[in-house]
Amino acid sequence: MDNMQQQFIEAGTLMLAGMVFVFVFLSMLIIFINTVLAKLAIKFPDPIVASSSRANKKSKSHSKPHGDFSPAVVAAISGAVKRYRSQHGQDK
Amino acid sequence: MDSLTKLWLSTGLANFELGQVVMMLVGCGLLYLAIARNFEPLLLLPMGFGAILTNIPLSGFSEVGGLLHYIYYAGIDTGIFPLIIFMGVGAMTDFGALIANPKTLLLGAAAQFGIFATLFGAIALNYVPGIEFTLKDASAIAIIGGADGPTAIFLASKLAPDLLGAIAVAAYSYMALVPIIQPPIMRALTTLDERKIEMAQLRSVTKIEKIIFPLGVLLMTIFFLPAATPLVGMFCLGNLMRESGVVDRLSSTAQNELINITTIFLGLGVGSKLSAEAFLNVETLGILGLGAVAFSIGTASGVIMAKTMNKFSKVPINPLIGAAGVSAVPMAARVANKVGLEANPHNFLLMHAMGPNVAGVLGSAVAAGVLLALVGG
Repeated sequence: MDNMQQQFIEAGTLMLAGMVFVFVFLSMLIIFINTVLAKLAIKFPDPIVASSSRANKKSKSHSKPHGDFSPAVVAAISGAVKRYRSQHGQDK
Repeated sequence: MDSLTKLWLSTGLANFELGQVVMMLVGCGLLYLAIARNFEPLLLLPMGFGAILTNIPLSGFSEVGGLLHYIYYAGIDTGIFPLIIFMGVGAMTDFGALIANPKTLLLGAAAQFGIFATLFGAIALNYVPGIEFTLKDASAIAIIGGADGPTAIFLASKLAPDLLGAIAVAAYSYMALVPIIQPPIMRALTTLDERKIEMAQLRSVTKIEKIIFPLGVLLMTIFFLPAATPLVGMFCLGNLMRESGVVDRLSSTAQNELINITTIFLGLGVGSKLSAEAFLNVETLGILGLGAVAFSIGTASGVIMAKTMNKFSKVPINPLIGAAGVSAVPMAARVANKVGLEANPHNFLLMHAMGPNVAGVLGSAVAAGVLLALVGG
């Protein structure tokens, strides 16, 4: 019976240590995302031109010359497309 | 006459034992779930077939010299298959939703309570005659609550190889049963108004963030929890291959061909552990029961954590996404989405639930590392 009590105490310690560690570890990750990654995102934003040229490569319909669309319209559309893709491409 | 007797004795019919028949029926049950009900068919189909093969009398599939024996010892006993699968999962995982809403990491952490609470249950089961779980056994069983098959198999192969078969079966069965186990718990713990909550659109995440993220996770694991580096390391490698964009061929192989091949063998190998003598005992019943408890507690603690965060957060958080904190990617996120749609047909929670979902993968890998470091030594 003493042995069981001992095991319960060990399991309790393990539970406490484990949960605290998991929370601390993932909280540190939150800090990492909010500081390092957020700064990087501001410093190196995804260039819109690059993403639209990537889109050009992928789909043939985009490879046509832009014709009479103004560059601002093209930039806005490609930005929206990129955002749509980043949001809808995650459940693959 | 002698040769007729000999012929009869070499048939399956003459050699069947009751346990083998029962286990073949279990295998057929898994096949039914995979084919007719579409429950995790990628795993349950090879697993169910493996269970049938391993119980064929006189065939020797799972004895030394048999195919399933070698598959099991080469890939599962060594922990190689789960780690390769983890790399593939990393290559399939998009951390975008998590980076856009980092708070959801807390949901992934909360859902790991299922793991640690089950430790207690496993130790308590020692009161039942015929069951004797050490702390190592208990830890390996408890990881079922992480709802992460590769992690469960990896940890079990290190801490409790004897129980690996039952643990793997329990882990994968419950992962397949996510759409059945989770919704009642989610509905019981939330009000209709909470389930209707619509969440703000996620910000877009830049490429550089996605590239640095796996490296940051790896660095932190190296510093604080080296015991988890086999799992986290392979996961981050897969994810970096995906996000770097320069090794599309490797990334594509890791998330398609390689993971598919490994899944076939993993399913067969796990199925080979479904032999009557190893499976039909009280301890297996205990493990299956504890697995369900672990899963339910994990789901519940994720939902409760999300409810609490919703109370204190400025932006609304739908408590349903907390349930996705148990890993089971992407099934748990889909379940959260489905239950949310039932309450509000215009509420698509899938993307929001992917955050806690992938956080749960990291959380259970970290929990496995903690158990390895504290119990495995």
